[in-house]
Amino acid sequence: MHIPDGLISPQTYLPALAVAVPLWWWAGRSFRRQVGDEVLPRLAVFTALAFLLSSLMLPLPGGTSGHAIGVGLLTLVFGPWVAFLAYTLVLVLQALVMGAGGITALPVNALAMGFVGAFLAYGLFHLLRSVQIDLAVVVAVFVSILASALLVALVLGLQPLIAQAPDGSPRFFPFGWAVTVPAVLVPHLFIGVAEAALTLLIWRHARKRHWLLASGGQGA
Amino acid sequence: MPASGIGCLHRAGRGPEVPTLSHPARLGLYLLAVVAISFVHDPRGLALILVGALLLSGAGRLRLLLRALRVVLAILLLLSAGFLLMGWLTGQPVVAALVLINLRVLLLALLTAWMMRAVNLDRALVHWPQAQRWLVIVRGQIQLFRRLAQDYRYAQRSRSVLPPTLRERYRGSAAIGLAALDKGVHNADLVTQAMRSRGALHD
Repeated sequence: MHIPDGLISPQTYLPALAVAVPLWWWAGRSFRRQVGDEVLPRLAVFTALAFLLSSLMLPLPGGTSGHAIGVGLLTLVFGPWVAFLAYTLVLVLQALVMGAGGITALPVNALAMGFVGAFLAYGLFHLLRSVQIDLAVVVAVFVSILASALLVALVLGLQPLIAQAPDGSPRFFPFGWAVTVPAVLVPHLFIGVAEAALTLLIWRHARKRHWLLASGGQGA
Repeated sequence: MPASGIGCLHRAGRGPEVPTLSHPARLGLYLLAVVAISFVHDPRGLALILVGALLLSGAGRLRLLLRALRVVLAILLLLSAGFLLMGWLTGQPVVAALVLINLRVLLLALLTAWMMRAVNLDRALVHWPQAQRWLVIVRGQIQLFRRLAQDYRYAQRSRSVLPPTLRERYRGSAAIGLAALDKGVHNADLVTQAMRSRGALHD
């Protein structure tokens, strides 16, 4: 779901921006260290792929649809810091080039999907890779998608509590957690399964082509 | 660049030379406006700004408004219908809040559509050459992926009288996706080599 501008309160996005800016700066340092002229084109291709994945509507049971995220794939190929930065670019492109999503929602989305999603996927992959590497990819991507979705739902549901008019009516997103958590999480159960399978397919292909950046071509 | 939009406000035209806002400045102005508007909670104020923005956006303002509406209409309808239902069930007044939220979201979407028309991102990123290069390659790859996907869809449609099943669509998408990935990486490598051979990477 692309959250447009105007639904996230300044009480939320300004602190999120304050957290995100130093993280972007650190990610930029990491990016300069890891990504040279040789890797940048490949990263650009995977960033474009993540962009398309997050624009691609997947048919879901019941006639609904949702979109994948793509940050798990970026993480498993390039590592979490580069993935965080690349995913931020995806969000910026969606907001500024496609008009989907929003600038005020950017720090929240970047932290929830780009940062938490990337580092959770990275941690889970490294935790489980010794058990079975394909399973590690699937679990890492699935859990990171659900965690990101849960965070977005919590932030949305927080809005009526922290941004009210004097009469108690909401000024930004109007629904509380009782609505946002199931509304965001349930579709992402299906999206998570589809994206985990898709990521495994592409990750195996990337491993075969020796495109994985770190750990001797075995993963992030 | 059309003779309207943020650029039009400071356009030289045929009269005396008026400095044109640079693209980084236009982008900065847009970002400031988005933040400022999220602090406005008066529907009349938002409505006035909306009308003002529409008037200032120059020729093609209706198209701009429709473009903004297209982006936010589905989410606003869903949100408004749900909130109206909730208000009806709980007996709470919701119309004022809905007017405020709808106006703000529409206004910000309009500003984004205006910015997309008036700002050239390549020029806006002129001080960040690596970001600019990344953007160029990413945009190129997005176009490439889209074309390949479209070609594949047309090819599949022309070879079958029945629409593909969901399983066929997923399998086909996987095959075309991996082929596109190989092609994309190869093309991006070629672009980088071409840029290097022309001295574009010696910064």
